[in-house]
Amino acid sequence: MNISTRWLREWVDPKVSDIELSEKLTMAGLEVERVAPVAPPFEGLVVGHVVSCVKHPNADKLSLCEVDIGVDSNLQIICGAPNVRKGLKVVVATVGSVLPNNLKINKAKLRGVESRGMICSEAEMGLSDCHDSIMELDSSAILGENARTCLDLDDHIIELDLTPNRGDCFSVLGIAREVCANYDLSLFLKNYEAKQQGSKSFKVKVSNPNACPKYLTRVIEGIDNNAVTPKWMAQRLQRASQQLHSPVVDITNYVLLELGQPMHAFDLNKINGNIDVRMAKSGEKLELLNEQTVLLNKNTLVIADQKSAIAIAGVMGGMKTGTQPDSTEVLLESAFFDLIAVSGVARSYGLHTESSIRFERGVDFNMTHQAMERATELVLDICGGKASAINECVDSSTLPKLQTILITREKISSVLGFDLDPSWIESKFKFLGFNITKKNNKSWAIIPPSFRFDIRIPADLIEELARLYGYDKVPVQRLSVDANISQTSQSKVSSYVILQALVNRGYQEVITYSFISNEYHDLIDSSAKKITLKNPISDDMSIMRSSLWPGLLQTVEMNQRRGHHNARFFETGLCFSGISVDDQRQKIAGIVCGERFESQWGSPEREVDFFDVKSDVESLLSLRGNDYLFEAEEHPALQAGQAAKISNNGQLVGWIGALSPHLQKKLSLPKVFLFELNQSDIEQRKVSSYKSFSSFQASQRDIALVVTKNVNADQLIHAIQSLNQEHLIEVNLFDVYEGEHIEKDKKSVALNLTYQSIEATLTDDQLNEQVKDIITHLESKFSAKLR
Amino acid sequence: MISKIITKAQKAVAKANDLKDLDDARVLYLGKKGELTALLKGLGKLSKAERPVMGEAINEAKVEIQKLIESRKEELEEIALEKRILEEKIDVTLPGRNVEKGGLHPITQTLINIENIFTKGGFEVEFGPEIEDDFHNFSALNIPEHHPARAMHDTFYFSDNAVLRTHTSPVQIRTLKRQKPPVRIIAPGRVYRCDSDVTHTPMFHQVEGLIVDKEATFAQLKGLLIDFLRAYFEKDDLQVRFRPSYFPFTEPSAEADIECVICGGEGCRVCKKTGWLEVLGCGVVHPNVLKAVEVDPEEFSGLAFGMGVERLAMLRYGVNDLRLFFENDIRFLNQF
Repeated sequence: MNISTRWLREWVDPKVSDIELSEKLTMAGLEVERVAPVAPPFEGLVVGHVVSCVKHPNADKLSLCEVDIGVDSNLQIICGAPNVRKGLKVVVATVGSVLPNNLKINKAKLRGVESRGMICSEAEMGLSDCHDSIMELDSSAILGENARTCLDLDDHIIELDLTPNRGDCFSVLGIAREVCANYDLSLFLKNYEAKQQGSKSFKVKVSNPNACPKYLTRVIEGIDNNAVTPKWMAQRLQRASQQLHSPVVDITNYVLLELGQPMHAFDLNKINGNIDVRMAKSGEKLELLNEQTVLLNKNTLVIADQKSAIAIAGVMGGMKTGTQPDSTEVLLESAFFDLIAVSGVARSYGLHTESSIRFERGVDFNMTHQAMERATELVLDICGGKASAINECVDSSTLPKLQTILITREKISSVLGFDLDPSWIESKFKFLGFNITKKNNKSWAIIPPSFRFDIRIPADLIEELARLYGYDKVPVQRLSVDANISQTSQSKVSSYVILQALVNRGYQEVITYSFISNEYHDLIDSSAKKITLKNPISDDMSIMRSSLWPGLLQTVEMNQRRGHHNARFFETGLCFSGISVDDQRQKIAGIVCGERFESQWGSPEREVDFFDVKSDVESLLSLRGNDYLFEAEEHPALQAGQAAKISNNGQLVGWIGALSPHLQKKLSLPKVFLFELNQSDIEQRKVSSYKSFSSFQASQRDIALVVTKNVNADQLIHAIQSLNQEHLIEVNLFDVYEGEHIEKDKKSVALNLTYQSIEATLTDDQLNEQVKDIITHLESKFSAKLR
Repeated sequence: MISKIITKAQKAVAKANDLKDLDDARVLYLGKKGELTALLKGLGKLSKAERPVMGEAINEAKVEIQKLIESRKEELEEIALEKRILEEKIDVTLPGRNVEKGGLHPITQTLINIENIFTKGGFEVEFGPEIEDDFHNFSALNIPEHHPARAMHDTFYFSDNAVLRTHTSPVQIRTLKRQKPPVRIIAPGRVYRCDSDVTHTPMFHQVEGLIVDKEATFAQLKGLLIDFLRAYFEKDDLQVRFRPSYFPFTEPSAEADIECVICGGEGCRVCKKTGWLEVLGCGVVHPNVLKAVEVDPEEFSGLAFGMGVERLAMLRYGVNDLRLFFENDIRFLNQF
């Protein structure tokens, strides 16, 4: 909300500058976003009267004016504005004055004629962008008066960012109350009472008093809505960022800003029959004042005449029954709508109005009548006419109940952590307008005022005290030290260790959005369940990811486009297979492409391959142990024959492989390797337990076997291990060879076997026998031939 | 005679330029057919009185020559080492052989930094799901349906009862449902709001904090957060101010501002000329929140706080565009 400080100071005038006042408000919880002067600084501008105005003898577009500024002699001023004319009151920048754009006014000769000063446009004074024409002042402007005074320019606009709990501060009155509470000042509330001369009555029924406990109307007849909104009112409205309309509408807006009571004015002659405040009927339509036609919802409270709805209660009036410059009879409305009844209504129609902001947060239900009187007074002053009696439909049983709140000193101290002086507490309660119904030295019973919908429980009162005391003055205390040592476990691998493991292997972490496009979802795994957002930012961000790969692929794609061809990225985060807690699992995934090493001296260049990436994955898996299995398996996103499923005791842990060439083509990517693991599967490990080792020498034996190509390395090793040889402690595959001297469909595999006994050094005979058993087994199982 | 031999040997040893030359010299003087050995063999021809005198002289000469050889040997070995060192000289300024540099995302680094500070103060780190239900994200946090605060949250929906969490506060609720007080936790993680422009991304990170204890006070909250901010920005005298604010789940509520770390409080574009930067929200937990998780607000009180991680990262590292964090350009990520 924007408000002029001059207007505010008419209500309460603390002896501090506007800047200090704004800081105080901010520190009291009414955040001032900006304090802007109405006009930039300038001096020496006065009100002048154009006494004569003739064409410049030597220039078509210039006028030669004689201007009276209330001193002995008139000034001769040359002016280029099209609207300058005799009789006009204008702002004159006299010789020696400096305008905001640093333009110093000097005596000058224009096309041979002397000019002593300048007639100003709004732009030249820094008031607006309007520079085509000079500013025309009211004919009542006082000759020679300082323009700042005449235009009331020594004013600031404060821009408040109010929190949703402080609906009571959406008015000059509300802010004035807050200023009073902060500076210990009292507010003088005027009692408005407009003259009653009319006798026209109008019937109103409130069918839904729960939603509308108070509904006040008044007929004013014989008004002149063609009248001009007075300058002082127009200026205040404009400084509060309100647009000007006809006087009656301006007046209702003015009262809204002044007292916080939203009001509406109907053109009485356009209402069909009586008014009923009721819920909308299904299928009912209404064209609103903003020319938007809405299909009303059954839960919407409306103001209706006998034919149809004519306004959405607390949100906006209808077009048909709105006042126009030619309106002569108006029906003013001042109501109290229940917070719950109007909450969310405006939003459901895509609306957000000055009225709905206030009603949703709570409007003072003791202000309804006063606001009606105030508005009437202003209408009669500005538009004339005769006001009838106020028609009050009030159901006091549905009005909010003001509950007593009990608060003790002890509670205040225990929440804040320090003691406040009881007499200070009491005085602040009073300045806040709180009614103290009972008190002793230790406690108070408080009834909050009707405008404070946010004061319900003791904690609310404590906040009031704390903010008026000043959060900055609250002493600083330390939490007591908690000597409990929390449970930690060595069997848990911290996520930091997991991330760091990949970083140490040259991976850069990325963070990508958790929502992806439908297309990407289908590319990676169209069989994965789609978790779709109802209101995505865009189609590209509409599906919750089931895998981290889309984000990684997009990252590589983007970096490739920007000329970075080598990539080694990883990400961790939740992936979604449903909306339940268990369906949201933490995964860790990586993507690699380009050169194995950045091109460098002394190291041959080569493309990264499956086994480079596999070793990275193995290093991650080794954080938990070595009981995992890689098996060739197909995955929709991976290249057949270069993809493996990773499992642990039959449980899927993750995937590794080359991106399928189809996707590669579709995404215009080079050869890319991907992996993804369930993070929880590598977060648990066995805590080591010591086993004694042999002090006898270990013996090594190497064997080379020729097998058909489709025999996997894992199969050979598992076959050897399945013999359960007592002294065989390690099997290591150290070479695979295909090519010369080996049949075309075969390969040679070299294995290193390590034997060791706990009791003695093994003899050659013992060793040879064991190796022979292995060879025999492999021969029979895989038709392996010793090379 | 003997002294002549020694002189000759001295010359030969000195002349030896490598170990082979030196060995030749050794054979020549000390070897089986060497000159001194020959003299020894000739001792028998001498008189009984001359024999021991001569014998001793020969032995002394032997020792002396041996010493000469030893010392020359050491010299030659040293020369050989020197030569090797020269030959093996490399250009140490050549780059080390490496894999490309990896690193953690600046947001992760910031999260780790924040976690480290709080875990030193006895806080546990808790996590929660990102798809939440209405109860945990809103109603248990004292944000009933139609509450104006819901409009401020720009929520992403899956259904009426399934949303992307708009803050990390639901972790408060999940923790308190699981664990009896005293509780002292922080909850870092991703949060989502349906908003996207220069200063908003639809996904960002928060760290939530919660303390529930018998005597937890607003003054302690203030002390804790001042300590945290000074630790995070590594500035012992960092100015921090607390302003009243509003959150449905705390009462009293506050926002904490720090002196602008860009301009030092002088006023700049980043702090909008105010000299202050808003960095976190906090407050005393609203009794309704404690009641929602069956904690008696008369027995326990709670302190809660929440901070935007991107903002803290931007201020700490001088990043001036929020969107850079999720673009993942390697030239950006490499800098941290």
